[in-house]
Amino acid sequence: MTVINRLSSRRRGDEDVVERIPDWMPRSAADWLAMVFMLIIGILTIMPIVWVVTTSLRTPAESFTVPPEWIPRDLYFGNYLQVFDEIPFVYQMGNSFFVTLSTVVGQLTTATLAGYTFARLYFPGRDVLFWVVLATLMIPYQATLIPLFIIISRVFGLADTLWSLILPALPTAFGTFLLRQYFLQIPGEYEEAAMMDGANQFQIFRRVYLPMVAPGMAILAVLAFNGKWNDFLTPLIFMNTTSRFPITLGINDLQRYMMTGSISVVLAAIVMATLPVVLVYVFGQRYLIEGLMVGGLKG
Amino acid sequence: MGNLSRREMLQASAAGVAGAAAAALPGSVSLASAPSQDQINMRYQVFNVDTVQHMLNTYMELNPHVNIEAISVTGVDHQEVATKILATLAAGNPVDVGFACTEVTHLYAGEGLAQPLTPRLMDDADEFMEYYADTSAALSETMLYEGDVYQLMDNFNAANMFFNKNLLAEAGLEMPGKEWTKDDFYSMAQAMTGIDGSFGYGWINRFWGSWMPWIFVNDTNVLEEERAPGGEWFWDTFYAGDERAVGRGGGWRWPAPQANNPKMVEALEFVVSLTQEGLTPAVEIGGGTTLLGFFSGNKLGMTPAGGFWAGGLINSGLEPGSFDTQFWPEWKSQRHQLGVCGPWILDGGGQEDQCWDFLKHYKKREIQDALGHFTPLPLTTPTRRSLNTEERFGQTGVENWRVFYDTIDERPDTGPIAQPVFVVELTNIFTRYTGLATNGEQTPQEALDNMQAEMEDLYARNA
Amino acid sequence: MASETTLGSGRRNWLPAWLAGDTVQGIRRQRMVLGVLFLLPTLIGLIVFVLAPIVVAVALGFMKWNVFRPPEFIGLKNFARLFQHELVGNSFSNTFVMMAMTVGMLEVFAISLALSVHRFARSRLAYIFRTVWFLPVLLSGVSVAVTLSYLFHTDFGVVNYYLGVLGIDKVPWLVSSDIVRFSVSLATVWRNLGFTFIIYLGGVSALPQEILEAATVDGARGLKRLWLITLPLLSPTILFATVIDVIRLLQFFDEPYVMTRGGPGDSSRTTVMMVYDTAFANLEFGYASSISVILFLIILAVTGFQFLLSKRWVFYQ
Repeated sequence: MTVINRLSSRRRGDEDVVERIPDWMPRSAADWLAMVFMLIIGILTIMPIVWVVTTSLRTPAESFTVPPEWIPRDLYFGNYLQVFDEIPFVYQMGNSFFVTLSTVVGQLTTATLAGYTFARLYFPGRDVLFWVVLATLMIPYQATLIPLFIIISRVFGLADTLWSLILPALPTAFGTFLLRQYFLQIPGEYEEAAMMDGANQFQIFRRVYLPMVAPGMAILAVLAFNGKWNDFLTPLIFMNTTSRFPITLGINDLQRYMMTGSISVVLAAIVMATLPVVLVYVFGQRYLIEGLMVGGLKG
Repeated sequence: MGNLSRREMLQASAAGVAGAAAAALPGSVSLASAPSQDQINMRYQVFNVDTVQHMLNTYMELNPHVNIEAISVTGVDHQEVATKILATLAAGNPVDVGFACTEVTHLYAGEGLAQPLTPRLMDDADEFMEYYADTSAALSETMLYEGDVYQLMDNFNAANMFFNKNLLAEAGLEMPGKEWTKDDFYSMAQAMTGIDGSFGYGWINRFWGSWMPWIFVNDTNVLEEERAPGGEWFWDTFYAGDERAVGRGGGWRWPAPQANNPKMVEALEFVVSLTQEGLTPAVEIGGGTTLLGFFSGNKLGMTPAGGFWAGGLINSGLEPGSFDTQFWPEWKSQRHQLGVCGPWILDGGGQEDQCWDFLKHYKKREIQDALGHFTPLPLTTPTRRSLNTEERFGQTGVENWRVFYDTIDERPDTGPIAQPVFVVELTNIFTRYTGLATNGEQTPQEALDNMQAEMEDLYARNA
Repeated sequence: MASETTLGSGRRNWLPAWLAGDTVQGIRRQRMVLGVLFLLPTLIGLIVFVLAPIVVAVALGFMKWNVFRPPEFIGLKNFARLFQHELVGNSFSNTFVMMAMTVGMLEVFAISLALSVHRFARSRLAYIFRTVWFLPVLLSGVSVAVTLSYLFHTDFGVVNYYLGVLGIDKVPWLVSSDIVRFSVSLATVWRNLGFTFIIYLGGVSALPQEILEAATVDGARGLKRLWLITLPLLSPTILFATVIDVIRLLQFFDEPYVMTRGGPGDSSRTTVMMVYDTAFANLEFGYASSISVILFLIILAVTGFQFLLSKRWVFYQ
C-alpha cells in the first residue's frame, strides 16, 4: 500500500516553520483588515446570544429593557432549577441524543456511499438519479409533512416512536451533494496509483478516498447534528407522549398555557439544550480543522 | 356514506392518500391494522399531561377498564395546534376527546367533527344543573352552534385593561373604577407616556385583544352578528329565571362582513391616532412574549389582557401588587370581547359514550379546581364562577381580580370574538390590514375598505 | 483499446472472475456493482420517506382536500387559480427579492470570513471566532423568535437603541413595507452565516498551498491573487454553497414567520408561508400542494441554470 504510505508521510508538513511572534498577531495590512472584519462580525453575532444567556439568569421583567443590559445584576439560577421541575428534562435530552446521534451516524453512512457513487463510480442513469436526489430538496417540507405522517403512521405504524423521527432522516440529499463535491475535488491520480498497486474499487474507496473526505464528513456531522437537534415541526406532528418527546417539544411546554410561562425559564432550558450542540461543534471543529490542515487535499 | 362512521371514513380517506403513497413505493405495502381492544382506549388531547394528571388518575381509578392515552399537543400558537390536529385527522386517527377554543369551535362543529352534545345533556340534565348554574350564560352561549351545544368549558379570557402600577404611581394616578370612560383612558395614557421612555398604552397585532376591545366598546364588530334560532331547551333547562340568559338563542352567527362600517373606522382611527401621537409604540405582530416583557419592564402603562396575565406576570418576574386590572373603558358601550376553551367529543369515533362519561367527570368542581392551569397559579380564568376565588387570584396581587368574572356577569352583552368556520383566514386578513393602518401606509378608511373587500371575497368562496 | 489489458498485479482471489480488477471490463463492472450498492440505502430511504410523500403532494395538487372530507379530483383548477391569484405572484416576488439579498450577503460574508480566519488558522483566536460565528445557527425556535422581535422592535428594540446613540433616527424595521424585506434578510444572514461559513471553511482550508505560493512568487498579490487564483480554486465550493443556499432560501420560512407573519400587509409573505397558511390555516391542502409544485419547478429551473452556468466558471482540479 505505497499510496497510503505516501499519503501519511505528507502529514505534519507545515510544522517545521518556527514562529516567534504569537500566531494571532496580524502581520500585514491585509491581516489587520481581516482581524477588524472578524471582530465586527463576531460582536454582531454574539450580542443576541449574550442576551439570551443573561436573560436566562434573571427575570423577563429585568430583560426587556431600554437600553439593553448585557450583564445580569444578580445571577439567578432559579430559572435553571425550574426547568427540571416542569419538564422531564433529562429524559427528553436523552431522547434527543438518541435520535440525533442515530441520525448523524446514519446520514454519514448513506451520504458518504451515495456521494462517492455520484462523484467517482459510473453506471447508466447515474446522472439522472443525481438530479432526482437533488430535486427532493426542492419541495417545501410543509407540503409533504402530512403525506409523510400518513406513511409513518399508517404504513409503518411508527407514530409516537423515536424511530419515526430517525428513519425518514437517514437518507440525505444535502449530505449526498456535499460529499459528492468533496469526492470530486480529489485529483484522480490517487486512484490510478492505487490501481497500480492492485487495489480493487472498494479498497480504493475505503483506504484512499474515504480518509480524504473526513473534513466533509465532519461538516455534515455538525450540520446534521444541529438540524436534527433543533427539529421542532416533525416531532410536534409525530410524537404524542411527553416522555418520548425530544427536548425541543419540552421547551415548547415551558412556555405554558396561553404563553404564561417565564421566557427566562424557556431560555434557561434552551441554553442547557444548546450546550451539547456547542460541544459537538467545538470537537467537530477540532477534527475538521486538524483534518484539513494535515490532510491530503493538496494534490 | 350514511353507515360509515366518521373514524372509518377518515381512515378510508387516509388509506386513499396512503394508498397513493404506497403505489409510489416499489412492491406491496400493507396497512398497519388497528390493535384489538379488550379495554377501552380513549385518546384525549391535552396541552400538557401534567396539568390534567389529577383528572386522568381519578377517572381511571373510577373506571379501571378505561385507558386514557394523553395526546400532548404542545403547540403554543393556534397554528401549531391546528397542524397537529389536522395531521392526526388526515392519518385517520384523530383524538376521541379534543380541546378547542372559541377560534375553532364552530369549525369543528360545522365540519361535523365534534358531536352535538344536546341529546346527552338532555338525558343527564340533572347532573349538569350545578355546572351551568356556576357558569355565566355569556360563556355557555359561545359553545352553541346552530341550536346545539358542542363543547363544555373550563377556562376563558375576556380582554380587560391591565395597569402597570409602578407607572401609575409615577404619573400620580389612581386605579380607575369600573365606570371609567375612553376619555379617562386617553388622559391616563397621556400621563403615563414619557416616564423613562415609557408609553401609556401598548398592544400587538392579532385577533383576540388587539384593537378588538375598542371595536366591541364602540358597539360594533368586524362581522355582522346575529343569533341562530333554537337552543330554547338549553336556556329553559339550565338558565330558567336567569335574566342574563334572556334573549339568547342557538348560538352566534356572522352572516356578513362589515369591516368598513363607520364605527369600525372610528375605532381604528382612534387606535391609530394613539400611535401617531406617540402614546402607543409601533404596533408589531407577535405572540405576546415581548408585550409581556415590555409591560413587566415598566415600558407600557396599560395593555389589553385577561386573567391569564395574572399568573403570567408573576411568572415573568413582576412583584405581586405591581399591576392591576379593570374593565375596558366605556365608549358607546362597555361590551367586552372574549374567548372560551373546553373539551369536545369526536363524532363517529366509536367511543362517544365513554367520552361523555369522561366529560361528566371533567366538569366536576373539584376536578376543575386541580387543573394545572388554575393551580398553583391561575394561568387563565376558570369558567366556573366559584373557582374565581380570593385564594386563587389573591396570591397574584391583583386587587381587582373579581373584574375577570364580573366582566361577563355585570356586562352580559359581552360576546366572543367572531369565529365563523373560516376564522383562521379571517384572522389573517384582519391582521394584514391592521398592520397597514397602524404603520400609516393606508388610512384607516382605506385599510378597512380593503379588509372588507377581501372578507367579502372570503365569504363568497365559502358560500 | 484492447479489452483484456492487464493492469497491475495484485488481483484479489476472493473476487469472482467477472469482477477481477485486472481487466478494464472487470474494473468497469466493479465500479458499477459498487455504485449500485452504495446508492441503495439513500435511494430506498428517499423513495419511501421523501419521494412517496412528494408524489402524494403532487397528486393532491390536482385535488380539493380539506382533511375533513375525502379528496376530490378537480383537474387543473388549482393551477388555474394560482396563476390569477395576486397574493401568490406577490409571494414569489418577495421570496426572490429576499433570497437574492440574503444569498448575496451570505456568500460574500462567508467567503470573507473563511479567507480571513484562514490567515490565523492555527491560533486560539481563530478557534474562538469560528465558534462564535456558528452560535446563531445553534439557537433555535422560541429563542430566535423572542430575540429577533426584541432586537428589531421599533420603539424598544436594541438595534434602534444603538442607532439612536449614533444619532440615527428610529428605523421601522418590521412595520414598514419598504424596509421589512431587508430586515428579515438581515436577520436571516445573522442566523445562517455560520452554516454557509462552515461550508466555505472546508473549501478554503483545502486550497492547495503550493499553487497559491507559486502564484505569489509569480507576482500575483492582493485582490489580483484573490480574483485570479483563490476564487477559481474555491469555485466548486462556491457552486455547492450557492446552490444549497438558493434552494434553502427559495423555501424561506422560519425568520419571516416568527418576525412578521408575512406583514405588514403582505410585504414579507414568502411562498412557503403561503403554502403553510393555505394548508394549515385555510385548510386548502390541494391548493397548497399546487403552489408547492410550481415552487418546485421554479427551484429546479434555477438550480439547473446554476449548474449550466457553472460549466463556465467552476474549475475542478
